[in-house]
Order: sequence, then structure tokens, then C-alpha cells
Amino acid sequence: MARLLLLLWSLGPMFWQLYSSLKPSEALSGVGAGGWTLENYRQLLQGDPPFLTYLINSVEVGASSTALTLALAVPCAYALSRLSRRQARALTSLVAAAAAFPAVLLFLALLELARDWHLANQLLALSLPYAGLCLPLVILLLQAAFADIPIVLEEAALIEGMDLWQRLRWILLPLMAPAMASSALLVFLFSWNEYPIALTWLSRTELLTLAPAMARIAGSSVYTIPYGAFAAATVLGSAPLILLMLLFQRQIISGLTQGAIKG
Amino acid sequence: MRWRLWLLMAPAFALLLSIFAAPLLHYLWLSTQVQSVLTGLKPQPIGAQQWLRLWNDGRFWQDSWQTLRFSAASVSLEMVLGLAVALLLNQPLRGRGLLRTFSLLPWALPTTVMALGWRWIFNDPYGPISRMLAGLELPAIPFLSNPALTWMATVGADTWKTMPFVALLLLAGLQTIPTDLYEAAALEEATQWQTLRRITLPLLTPYLLIALLFRLAQAVGVFDLIQVLTGGGPAGSTESLALYAYLNAMRFLDFGYSATLLLGSFAILLILCSTVALMWRWSLRWQGGLR
Repeated sequence: MARLLLLLWSLGPMFWQLYSSLKPSEALSGVGAGGWTLENYRQLLQGDPPFLTYLINSVEVGASSTALTLALAVPCAYALSRLSRRQARALTSLVAAAAAFPAVLLFLALLELARDWHLANQLLALSLPYAGLCLPLVILLLQAAFADIPIVLEEAALIEGMDLWQRLRWILLPLMAPAMASSALLVFLFSWNEYPIALTWLSRTELLTLAPAMARIAGSSVYTIPYGAFAAATVLGSAPLILLMLLFQRQIISGLTQGAIKG
Repeated sequence: MRWRLWLLMAPAFALLLSIFAAPLLHYLWLSTQVQSVLTGLKPQPIGAQQWLRLWNDGRFWQDSWQTLRFSAASVSLEMVLGLAVALLLNQPLRGRGLLRTFSLLPWALPTTVMALGWRWIFNDPYGPISRMLAGLELPAIPFLSNPALTWMATVGADTWKTMPFVALLLLAGLQTIPTDLYEAAALEEATQWQTLRRITLPLLTPYLLIALLFRLAQAVGVFDLIQVLTGGGPAGSTESLALYAYLNAMRFLDFGYSATLLLGSFAILLILCSTVALMWRWSLRWQGGLR
């Protein structure tokens, strides 16, 4: 019983969107008869720019943010896990505070940064603030994973004469793969969903990522109610994420909980 | 050897400092300037004027109240429901993994996407709620046009989205509690309520605190949801501090005041989180005294 309620609560709103997206506008406003249609999706995909553009933009930003975050976080987390406990704890608590910080409070300064350094309307430049915002959680997550690797493994490699790079490449990183996969997924999710910074950095329609594009669709027509098209947009916008969640739920869940708890 | 470790950390910390610390310092400076259309968007020093303006700004205090009301309501709802869901998912049920995945889905969706969805669900008269009520011949509920209800609609939508996160965190906590404690409690014929009060909740405390502080910080910075679902309306009754600061910068082009507002919100956030942490510590000490 409780299980059914939980399912209904989580999935009900989504099914309503799916249902609405397949109905003609007249049926939704109670005028016309029912019947199913793909018209809403056709409109969306043939819009100007086509909806697919936003999805591709989001994938680009997500991929570059993920790469940048991992490139910065892996060495940092490794060093943190090898520092003396007192130093590591001081730095870790700073990082944990940053992890909880609401990013929206930073938008004004980041906006000025974008203006002064000509980063506005550059899709890939967005990965700079995104990596910065994701770093705290990812560092905590990877640090915990590094700390779980027995130190004797690395000492043995040291005796074999491997240098730092070789130890990382051949001993540590293979063992880190699960934690790195979790981190990558979390960064991707974050940059897919991030709104305030994308909103203020991007103004050209064809460069928008999904989140600001949705808000623009929502704001464009306050008085008419093309809710069929809205619903189709929500379905298309969330489908890739739902797929990602279903495929990688284990990694996402472990990343989410490990990162928050160990920090 | 040591310096190599610091070198490895340098790039990450450089980015962290420039993304988190530099903006806050920049706001401190900008809040002593006036930079608006009147000054041709050039900063001019103005002393503490902006802070006086903040102090006398009714809209700032109203938005603070609204933000706190929203945060208190949605975070407490999320904690209670999240705990219930975590307890449910911790039981050895059939299809538990699938249930866990499905219940986490709302958390993964972009806030703007789901806010748009909720706008349609709350729609009067065509949304599903209004239709159901009409089917039962009950009057429609004007969720998005009555100020007394709209803030509750935002709380509902926020709870739907972030409760799974809390549930998941608490579930991870529940799984660290050794099962022999429960077996012992069962031998002593403890009731379910006693088991929850005496075993589960005390051992879950650190997880509850993490979830509470994290969610509180995010709720005080609420922006996406409000902007898309209500736009701060009706009549500013759901406007949050972050939205007000955003409007000042992007619509009124009053950057100095926007920075002051952002720092004001940060101060409120700091006060709130340290109050919670302090109260938590006191309650622990008080409990310790009883034992």
C-alpha cells in the first residue's frame, strides 16, 4: 500500500505530462474531443531553433564540465588523502561548506567575470563555473575513495620504483573507477540542470542549454496556453535524464550518499 | 615530497577560491558602490548607503520572511516524508531496488522542467487537480492566483523534487545501523515506536543533521522553482531573496544594491545554519545530562 502511494507520488506527475503531450490542445482545454496526436512533438522539433539544439548544447556543456572537474579533482583529492590528518581535516571542512553553498548567490560576480573576460555566449566557457561549483562534492567523494585504498599498495609500487604519475596511472586510478564514474554522473546531472548561471551567461537563443530554454518557453506565452507543447517539452527535456538514471542508478546513488556523508 | 602534494591541490583550490571566495569579497566592495543606470553603469563610492537602503527596504524584509517561510515548510516536510520513505525502502520488500530508482527520478529532473510541469498541474481550470475537483462538483482551488495558496504550491513542488534526496541520504544512514540492535530490541519485545525512538533516531542523528543543513542552505537560495512556477507572484507573495537580487541586477540594472542583497541573503543563511547547529549541540548536551 505504502509502496503504491510512493510510486504514484513520484511517477504520477510525470505520467500526466506524458499524457498531456500526446493530446491535441483542444482536448486539453476541454473543448474538442480526445484522440492521440504527435503534433506537439512535431511543433517542438521543427521550432526555431529545433528543440534538439538545446539538448545537444546541454550534452556539450555537460561533457566538458565533467572532464574539467575530474581533471582538477583527481590530483586534489589524492593529495588531500595523503596529507597529515590535521591539515586534511581543516581543508575538508572548508570544501564541505562550499559543497552546501547555494550557487545562485554567486551569479552576479560570475556575470561580471563573463563580461570582463568575454566568456558570455561561449558554450564551453560555462564549464569553468560548473567545474568550480561541482568540485567540492567531487573532491569529497574522491578523497573518501582514495582513503579506502590500502596504503601498502602504493608503498609496494614505490619500492618497485614507480614515480607518482605511474602509481596514479597503473595502481590508483583503476581502483578509483567506480568513484570516478559516480562523480562524472553527478557533474553531468548538475550541469544539465543548472539554471541561474546559464541564464545570465547565455543570451543567444541557439546557444541556450535545456534549463534556460525551458524557462524561456514557459515565459514566452503567458496568456495563451499551449500546454500540449509545454508538456512535450518537459517530456523531451527529462527523457535523457530518466534514461541515465535507469541505466546508472547504482553509481548515482552511491556517489550522492558517499559524497554527502564522508564530507 | 610535501610541496608536490600542495602543487597537486593548487589548480583545484585556485578555481574554488575564484568561484566561491572572490565573488563574496567582490560583493563586499560592490555593496559600498552605486552602479546603476544613473551612474552610467560605472561604479561610484557611496559608503554605507546601500546597507541603509537594505535596512529600510520593506520588500527585502518581506522577501526574507517569505524565503524563511518557504524554507521552514519545505525542509520540515522533506525531512519527515524523507524519513518515512527511507524507513519504507529499508525494509526487505520485493522490488525494492526498482522502487528506489523510481522514487529518485524527481530529484534528477531539471528544476525548470519540473516547475513548468507543475504549472500545468496546478492550472485552473484545465489542470488535473481542477478537473478532478470539477468532476466531484467541488469548487476549483486557485493555486497560482491566491497568495495564501501559491506559496504552499511552491512548497509542494519543492518537496516533490527534493524529498528523494533526503530519503536516499537517510537510507544510507539506516543501512549503517547494525541489525543485531534490532534483534535485541525484538527480544526485549520493544514496540516499533520504541525501536524508532531509542535505536533508529539516535543512530541516524549525524545523517539527519547533514540532510537538514544541506537542504536548508539550498532552500534559502531558492530561485529556479519560484522564477518558473510563479515568477514571484501573485503580487510578489512568493518572491524569494535570490529572485529579488536577480531582478535588481538583470531588470533594474542596479548592481550595487543587488550585491548588497546577495550579501544580506548570505548573512541570513549563515545565521540560520549556525543557529540550527548550535541548537543541535545543546539538545545533545541536554540529552547527555539526562542519561
